[in-house]
Amino acid sequence: MTVTEIQPDSAQLRAVRRERVLAEMETAGIDILITGRESNARYVSGVPRLWLAGSRPFGPGCIFVRASGDIHLVSTWDEGVPDDIPREHLHGITFNSQNTLAMLTGIDGAAAARTVATDGLMPSTVGLLRKAFPDAELIDGEQMMRSARRIKTAEEVDAIRASVRLAEDSLAVAAKTFSAGVTERGLTAAFMEAMAAAGVTTPTTQDVAWITSPTDRWARSTRDAAVSPSDLVAFDAGVIRNGYVGEIGRTAAVGGLESVGNAPLSRWDELWDRLLTACRPGASGADLLDAYATTDVPAPPVPVARGLGLGNDLPLVTHELPRTAAEQRLEPGMVFALTAYVWEEGVGGVYGQEPVLITDTGPSLLSSTPFRDSRSLTP
Amino acid sequence: MGSVPKLVIPASADLARMRRDRMHRIHAAMGEQGIDALVLVGNTNVVYATGAIWPLADAGRVIFERPVAVVLADDDVPHLFSPLHTDDRLREILPEDHAHGPAHLEFDEGVEIFAERLAELIPAQATVALDEWTHALRRAGSLVGKNGAPIDGGRVISKAKAIKTPDELALMRQGLQITEQGIAEVQARLAPGVRQTELTATFLRTIFEGGADANILDPIWQIMPERIADGPWTTTGDLACPLLTTERELAKGDVLWVDTGVSFEGFHSDFGRTWIVGEEPTAGQRAQFDRWRSIMDAVLSVTRAGATAADLTAAAIEANGGTKPWMPHFYLGHGLGIDSAEMPYVGSDIGEVFDASLVLAPGMVLVLEPIVWEDGAGGYRAEEVLVITEDGWDPMTDYTYDPF
Repeated sequence: MTVTEIQPDSAQLRAVRRERVLAEMETAGIDILITGRESNARYVSGVPRLWLAGSRPFGPGCIFVRASGDIHLVSTWDEGVPDDIPREHLHGITFNSQNTLAMLTGIDGAAAARTVATDGLMPSTVGLLRKAFPDAELIDGEQMMRSARRIKTAEEVDAIRASVRLAEDSLAVAAKTFSAGVTERGLTAAFMEAMAAAGVTTPTTQDVAWITSPTDRWARSTRDAAVSPSDLVAFDAGVIRNGYVGEIGRTAAVGGLESVGNAPLSRWDELWDRLLTACRPGASGADLLDAYATTDVPAPPVPVARGLGLGNDLPLVTHELPRTAAEQRLEPGMVFALTAYVWEEGVGGVYGQEPVLITDTGPSLLSSTPFRDSRSLTP
Repeated sequence: MGSVPKLVIPASADLARMRRDRMHRIHAAMGEQGIDALVLVGNTNVVYATGAIWPLADAGRVIFERPVAVVLADDDVPHLFSPLHTDDRLREILPEDHAHGPAHLEFDEGVEIFAERLAELIPAQATVALDEWTHALRRAGSLVGKNGAPIDGGRVISKAKAIKTPDELALMRQGLQITEQGIAEVQARLAPGVRQTELTATFLRTIFEGGADANILDPIWQIMPERIADGPWTTTGDLACPLLTTERELAKGDVLWVDTGVSFEGFHSDFGRTWIVGEEPTAGQRAQFDRWRSIMDAVLSVTRAGATAADLTAAAIEANGGTKPWMPHFYLGHGLGIDSAEMPYVGSDIGEVFDASLVLAPGMVLVLEPIVWEDGAGGYRAEEVLVITEDGWDPMTDYTYDPF
């Protein structure tokens, strides 16, 4: 479908997401929720806003008042704003903290708020909120939002699947340029062009191709290095379509993966099978880390499992945080990018990542041609 | 009387010298504020302090995978805690004992681990500042200063980065050139029937091929209405801009306001022009451009080291016949560097008192972006990127105003 107008997320999607957030606010006793992170602001408001790369300092972006259900949004205009956020709840962009303070104190229900939550903090946030809500306690709204967003609705799963498909298709187009001599940057260029030509201009990662090193588990030389026939090249393809993230990871060699050697590939298969077996309802993140340990493969510095949704979703499973991994249970409706990475001295790395949906009966892959079944970059 | 020293921007940057200069400035600012250790979490602050370069990810993905830098007052080499691939650059700038695994400050367990690592680097009574805080850090009582909040370490970087060194200006100029090479290809493609997203496709391919490290915003090719009332409603009653790109096809005569930028060697670029699809400008549109040019010239004529932001806004307002020639939700101009918009802001809603207090200094990079608007006949907007010198300013780019 060709999109020629900016529209808010569907009424049904907005309703179910807000219901979940309100339920979490109720449980945590939060009167006013202030989100600055785009993921959380989008979840509550349903409004698409300008994509920017990189981390952002915290500032109020979307405010949700529990008692009234009112939503306030920092937006100078009403394009993409649904009818349930009236114009008087839109607040213009400001560079002046006094204006931010005036916006917060002007919100109906601000004076009565006893508990205010934010999803981020700057060193100055505590002082600002103390002025805006003198009698309120400041608590963590990010944990609450992670909990609300953790389980995906069927509509959300469909949105993620559509994004994954676009990531696959864009990678397939970029793969046409994959030959000896092409650089990591060149492959990124081809992927980005394909993605935008398909109508979506927002990636999740801009590090699309990585020539793995035969001498170091987690190194590259430069992004201008040219691919040689002996290289194992890892691909990270991620797009955001209608707000939802779709990502896949693949590995390829110019002459086919087998030309580089079968040893890391068969270990990769073994690791992947163990990882996927661990993806069952009730299992914990620790079971995913165990899959690496049992296969005797060191886990990569990046997360082994990372939630897919509007951004910064649970689960987050990394060997750096074993206790956190063990505390997280896999539940039906969770969607995450599951990563298997196997590196072999003298050869390089095999990197594969699939979007996994946990269902009542086990894992379901949202990619159309998983790396385990097809070593091709083309679906 | 000595002559005014000329600003010389080298053709290429000396990266080692640039890192040394930055560390010197960071240490000076830390010394003034009595800070022993500076913890940096914001992506661009980490880039500034360490010299590490990586392609910036989406704002959502970066939250769980952020590199964290720690600068100690008595160490010229920063520490980096990150999941990044080790590359030639990192190997050159970070000895092994300064390169650490990722810090997960969004999680309680991650904060505990980071606190242990930090304790190995600094004594317990050290004064620590940081640029961004997290709820997990707050819960742990980590890095809390006198008033129940941490010391704001972001100010150290804002102060250090304000004046660009010649090496930094050389990199900024390269980043602007990469941007404009991409823009030239896009402009050559401009025709009725082409979709906005197709312009983005060409832009993205060209900037990465040209050496950009990342795109920094979803490029804007906004089709402007002739009347404000024909666009979205706004809180200001003024123009809505920038509006998001879609797959809408361009039509003959569409007036596009273009705004985009890339990241190169840690610096962000900025580009702004007005284009017309498939037609030459009308006499009325040319008159708008001429008026824009005269406003820009008036502002440039007062732009020099020692001038205040208020001097620039006054010149713009006078040249525009008494009203502000910029959008009220933005500004007449803004600084550019490791961030797409940074100090100095000129004519923002921070207010006139602030503008009067803000003094321009040599080495500041400014983007001036006045607009001309005639309700019923549309308008013109473009951006001029320049560096402040002792006796005036130097242009950072020479891109054409074609078709004007």
